[in-house]
Amino acid sequence: MINTKELEKRWYKYKAKTFTLFLSVVMVIILLPYLFYYIYSHFNTTKESDISRKSDFNQTAKVVAKPKEQSGINNSNSLKKEKLLLSPTIPVIDIDNENRKREYPVKKISKSTKKLIKAKKSATLSAQELAIINGKDLKKEKKKINFQHSNANYIEVMLQKFKQNKNPREALLLAKAYYQKKDYIESEKWSLIANNLNKNLEESWLIFAKSKAKLGKRREALKILSSYYKTTQSSQAKALIEKIKSRSI
Amino acid sequence: MTSKYKEIKHIFIDTVESQNYVELDSMKHNYDLLAESLDKPLKMILLFGRPGTGKSMTLNKLYTNLKDKREIHYFDAPILSEKEFLKSIYEAMSGQHIPQNMRVNFDGLLKYCQKMRGKREVIFLLDECQLYSEALMEKIRLLSDTRVVKFVITLHKTENEDIIAKEHFKTRIWEVIELKNVSEEDLAVFIQKKLMQKGFVEVANSISKRDIKFIHSHTKGNFRETNKFLYTIFNIYEYYDLYEPKKIDPNRFSKKILEMAAIKLGYIHD
Repeated sequence: MINTKELEKRWYKYKAKTFTLFLSVVMVIILLPYLFYYIYSHFNTTKESDISRKSDFNQTAKVVAKPKEQSGINNSNSLKKEKLLLSPTIPVIDIDNENRKREYPVKKISKSTKKLIKAKKSATLSAQELAIINGKDLKKEKKKINFQHSNANYIEVMLQKFKQNKNPREALLLAKAYYQKKDYIESEKWSLIANNLNKNLEESWLIFAKSKAKLGKRREALKILSSYYKTTQSSQAKALIEKIKSRSI
Repeated sequence: MTSKYKEIKHIFIDTVESQNYVELDSMKHNYDLLAESLDKPLKMILLFGRPGTGKSMTLNKLYTNLKDKREIHYFDAPILSEKEFLKSIYEAMSGQHIPQNMRVNFDGLLKYCQKMRGKREVIFLLDECQLYSEALMEKIRLLSDTRVVKFVITLHKTENEDIIAKEHFKTRIWEVIELKNVSEEDLAVFIQKKLMQKGFVEVANSISKRDIKFIHSHTKGNFRETNKFLYTIFNIYEYYDLYEPKKIDPNRFSKKILEMAAIKLGYIHD
């Protein structure tokens, strides 16, 4: 008679093997559509980025040509031709435009400081009056903050506005609002949207990097900022790099 | 303590006894063709096919059916010595016993046959002729030329030699009947008839089409392989019946046992 015990053991082994095979086939069948979808979507995004790269390249050529014509003396400008990536598209930084924007609020501040200095210089104000003035200033600042925070529908309103206008500034405001709300995923997303719409928005780079850092992706944040700094020599970017490095963010 | 499965497994022991012959449509066709060929003025008839396709069984069945009607002799085992072969032919034809120290002269045998032309027709059934030497085969051919002796020979060859062998016989204008492995349907009939002949109707009915398909997929419809497979199956059944009867359902053919037998015979691997 056959050694059935031994044969039974071999049969169990065979069954386990066939079941594993069956299971893997089923898994492949289930996962195959997902795989195809992934490949398809990946292929599409690369295709889109290729197209945007091409169009951006054309824009780059135009934008880069301008500073060459305008300030032929600046040899350092040639270094700024480097492509900088925040999203899959290639952002081009218009340095002059950026500097102008940076100068603008500085002027404003200087005006107000001038006023304060004037008040101080007059020396006709008493210590109390100075305190009142300072208090007023503080109140003004508080009001500003309260204005932003008291509006519960701020983000919703901004979202609606953005839907209508597709304005990069609004996207940036949304990024800022989310960053203040400590919703760093959303702030990262919106700073990227803002940057996609306008590569020259420095704040979009900074908020994006800050959000990344807050999400624990310090290395990525530093990489983005240093490449941005290389191209723009932005002092804010440098300061932020230092902050991230010192882990104060 | 005995099990009914012991008896069942013995049904599938590979034999060529005519009582175990199972008539299938394909087999019946081949048998009729062979019987018809015997009435034609052909000198030799070749039953050709791969091992286990039922050549010996057909030959045995032919002998059993015709032994009372015609002068027919069946050599089930090949006689490899030429001396012994000629002696056996002469003894069968003359009915005389040749002593051990004497031999039959081939020319004398030829003359003996020629003298009987038109008076007698003797049929010899030779199995496993691939074992005969070419010289002996040539002598068989010369004997058949006398038209007194008719030979039905079976031959099996390996895959590469199939065509060569068939061509060899075709050029000599012999009747060639090729036996092939049976279809799934014929195999089902073969198994069920075998079981029913011995009264195991319930067991025969418990074998489903799916089981037959499984058996056919591994045996390719070869009778010898099928017998071996079923013998192993019922051998395992016997063990369970005697020692672990809870593991078998008498009304249902066990797929587990089928697969175990397939593993045992190396059809599937664990």
